[in-house]
Amino acid sequence: MIVLAARPAVVYSSTKVRSAVRNTPQKTLESWKQIAAYLERSERTVRRWETTEKLPVHRREHEKQDTVFAYKHEIDAWSRLRVKCPIELSLDDGDVLPANPHADNTYLTEHDAITRVVHRYIAGCRAGEGEVMRPAFHPSATMSGFCQGVEYSGSIEHVFDWINQNGPAPDINPRFARIEIVETIAVVHLEVQRWSGKLVGAQARASDVFTLLKCDGEWKITHKLFHWHDR
Amino acid sequence: MANTQQYLTEYDGISKTIQMYIDGSKQGKSELMRPAFHADASFFGYAGGQLAVGPAFLFDWIDKNGPAPKIEPRIVSVDILDSIAMVRLEVGGWSGKLAGSDVRMSDLFTLLKTPSGWRIIQKAFHWHA
Repeated sequence: MIVLAARPAVVYSSTKVRSAVRNTPQKTLESWKQIAAYLERSERTVRRWETTEKLPVHRREHEKQDTVFAYKHEIDAWSRLRVKCPIELSLDDGDVLPANPHADNTYLTEHDAITRVVHRYIAGCRAGEGEVMRPAFHPSATMSGFCQGVEYSGSIEHVFDWINQNGPAPDINPRFARIEIVETIAVVHLEVQRWSGKLVGAQARASDVFTLLKCDGEWKITHKLFHWHDR
Repeated sequence: MANTQQYLTEYDGISKTIQMYIDGSKQGKSELMRPAFHADASFFGYAGGQLAVGPAFLFDWIDKNGPAPKIEPRIVSVDILDSIAMVRLEVGGWSGKLAGSDVRMSDLFTLLKTPSGWRIIQKAFHWHA
C-alpha cells in the first residue's frame, strides 16, 4: 500500500495565509500538502489532478512565489462529480469494489469479476510485491514478451520475481483499453503508464495483454503478454 | 502502428499465422498448424466440462478429430501493439470424430512477433454447447 500521509497538523508559513485561514476556519486547504492530505493522495498525484482532471485549486500572487489554496466545498463537489474510475483504486481496493447492484446482468458481473482480478495485478505492481498479485494467476500461468529487444517467455514466477526486485511503482497509471469476454475465456488489454522502480527506471510505458480463463467459477489469468515501449 | 503500410504488413503476417491454424483444423492435420505456434505456447479451455491444457492436447485432438471440411472461420478482431497482438476468431460449422457436427467455437489468440514471424503464444477457446 502506498503510505499516505495522515492529515497533518496545520502548519502555516506566511502571515498572509494565516490570516486567510483565520477568517475562514476549516473551509480552506492552504497548501499542496493539505490538499493532498485531504484527498488522501500524494502531493504529486493531486498536482497532476489539477492539470489532468481540473481539480479546483486557486492561487494567490505573492512577490516571490504564488501560493495555492483550495476550498473544501469545491474539492468535495469535484470528488462527487468525478467519475469513479476503478483504475484510481489502489492496493486492496480490488476487494472493496462495491458489489454489482445489477447481479442479474451477466455481462456486468463477469466484467467486474475480470477487472477485479486485473486490479490484483495492478496492486502487486504498485506495491512491488509478487505475492499480492499471485492470487490473480492460474498456477500454470505463463508470460512472454519483449524487453529491450530480448524475448522473454516462461513461467509466471519470473514476473513475480521481477516485481519483487523492481520494488514499489506508486505512480503507475493503468487503463483498461479493451476487455473481451467469450463465455469462459477473456482477453484484457491494459495500458500502463508511469512505470517506475529499481529495474524499470522512470516514466516507462508497458502494454499488457492478459488471457483469462474462468475455472471453477473464478477468473484467473493464464497468460501475460507484454510489450515495453521505447522511450 | 507507425503508418498504414506497416499496419497492413503486420496484419497480413498475423492473418497468415492464423490461416495455418485454420488449415490444420480443416484438414485435421496438426502438422499444418504447428509452425503457427511458439515453442512456449500454451493452450487453455473447457471441452465438455473438462479443462484441456497444453498445445500437445490440441495437436493430438486435431489429428484424432480428422477433417472438418465445413468450418466457417471469421476473424472478429485483430489488435496489434508493436511486438504483441491479439486475435478473436469465431469458427462455426465444426465437425469431426471428436467434435460431433455443426459446433461453434470461439478462440482468443495472443501472438508474439518473433524474428521468424508472428507466432501464437496462447490459444484460449470456448466450445459453445
